[in-house]
Amino acid sequence: MAELGIVDIREIIRLIKSLHNYDFSSYALTSFKQRLERVMKLYALGSLESLLRKLQDDAVFFDVFLYEMTVPSTEMFRDPSLWRWLREEFFPQQTDKNAGKFKIWLPLCVSGGELYSLAILLHEIGMADKVQITASCISNKSIDLIRSGTYDAKKIEISEENYKRFNGLRELSSYYKPEKDYMVRNNSLIEYVEFKKLNINFDNAPQNVKLILFRNTLIYYNPALQEKILQVLHGSLSVSGHLILGIREKIPGLSTSRDFEFVNEAESIYRKKY
Amino acid sequence: MNYKAVILGGSAGSFQIVTRILNSLPKNFPLPVLLCLHRLKHVRSGFVEALSLKSNIPVEEPYDKDSLRPGKAYLAPANYHMYVELSNRIALSTEDTVNHSRPSIDLSFITAANAYREKLIGIILSGANKDGALGLKRVHDNGGIAIVQDPNECEVKTMTQSALQLTKVDFVYSTDQIISYLQKLR
Repeated sequence: MAELGIVDIREIIRLIKSLHNYDFSSYALTSFKQRLERVMKLYALGSLESLLRKLQDDAVFFDVFLYEMTVPSTEMFRDPSLWRWLREEFFPQQTDKNAGKFKIWLPLCVSGGELYSLAILLHEIGMADKVQITASCISNKSIDLIRSGTYDAKKIEISEENYKRFNGLRELSSYYKPEKDYMVRNNSLIEYVEFKKLNINFDNAPQNVKLILFRNTLIYYNPALQEKILQVLHGSLSVSGHLILGIREKIPGLSTSRDFEFVNEAESIYRKKY
Repeated sequence: MNYKAVILGGSAGSFQIVTRILNSLPKNFPLPVLLCLHRLKHVRSGFVEALSLKSNIPVEEPYDKDSLRPGKAYLAPANYHMYVELSNRIALSTEDTVNHSRPSIDLSFITAANAYREKLIGIILSGANKDGALGLKRVHDNGGIAIVQDPNECEVKTMTQSALQLTKVDFVYSTDQIISYLQKLR
């Protein structure tokens, strides 16, 4: 298949914007191009024209396209030390303070790897009934896959290793059952989670959130969009609410920032300052 | 200077070679050095520190969107792909593994070749799978310089031999020759 040039990519972005009002123009170009080429290969679209036509004529395809343009988490319990921190440092401090449930937001769920990891953690420490989790997705396909518990079987082995390093209470395998070429996770774990479909700008973000888990998504944006989305997340957090980013993601200009401060640099954990 | 960056890829048997290269570069080496080396997914720390010990230039694991600067080495972080954006910045990614690898040498080389075209020097070192072969081909196809460590000198030959099968490279060099080639870039 021919490689997409910058002009081709701009044309795709323009078409999506005019048809669906989704603006991908501030996505990081290299990985965006990679995923476009991946979609074309997956759906046997041999040319730019065939992709443009499909985007124009096939509404069902557009949802799948949105799913493919977002990147699923690599595995469950990625960075076990972060999950240990949540279990040992963060959640124990949240128990007696307030009577109401505290809000957790996962702004962009694709495969549910982070959501199920969180749900398992909360289940194991007996705090599932103390939280209110909002999981937002940009595609219906993501919501369907996550709700039904479907998960990529290839990711189970590394997830199990992570879970061991997290020192979970049981075996990770007690939370899923193998199917033909995928896994089904026990979806009663996420029964109480509220799913929300959001656009890529995160308009209508939840408010007064105590914890936002948003790891390894900013990397797919250019610096301007990163800044804009960080503002949205800041607006969504309550004062001293926590934001967790990916290990190699960071908030630019933190030392002079009026918005955020570090809680734990190694795990990329931030707190809203005011 | 005709070049904008050097990129090195390797896995098994490449650590000593990279250490020697970093130890031989002048402090004011005029280009950024990208290092894409296979490593354990779950071990975040230790690698960059080990490479830094004897390096003449600073070695760091970049954060996403860090700008690339001459005289610095950038090591692909554990469990991330490392891309080069057209804006001369690093972009990290958690996309699927390629050849069971994340970081993928192919992806680092291909994106660097797209960003720097003929102004890139790509070097494939000792390693145990074929990752990097496609990437080095792209460096060559885009007019950059393609160098492969002499397989006879490699602890594990698979990576260099795969690269040689796919691309008519510019040079097959011993470690000493790679070093003197890089030292002459002024």
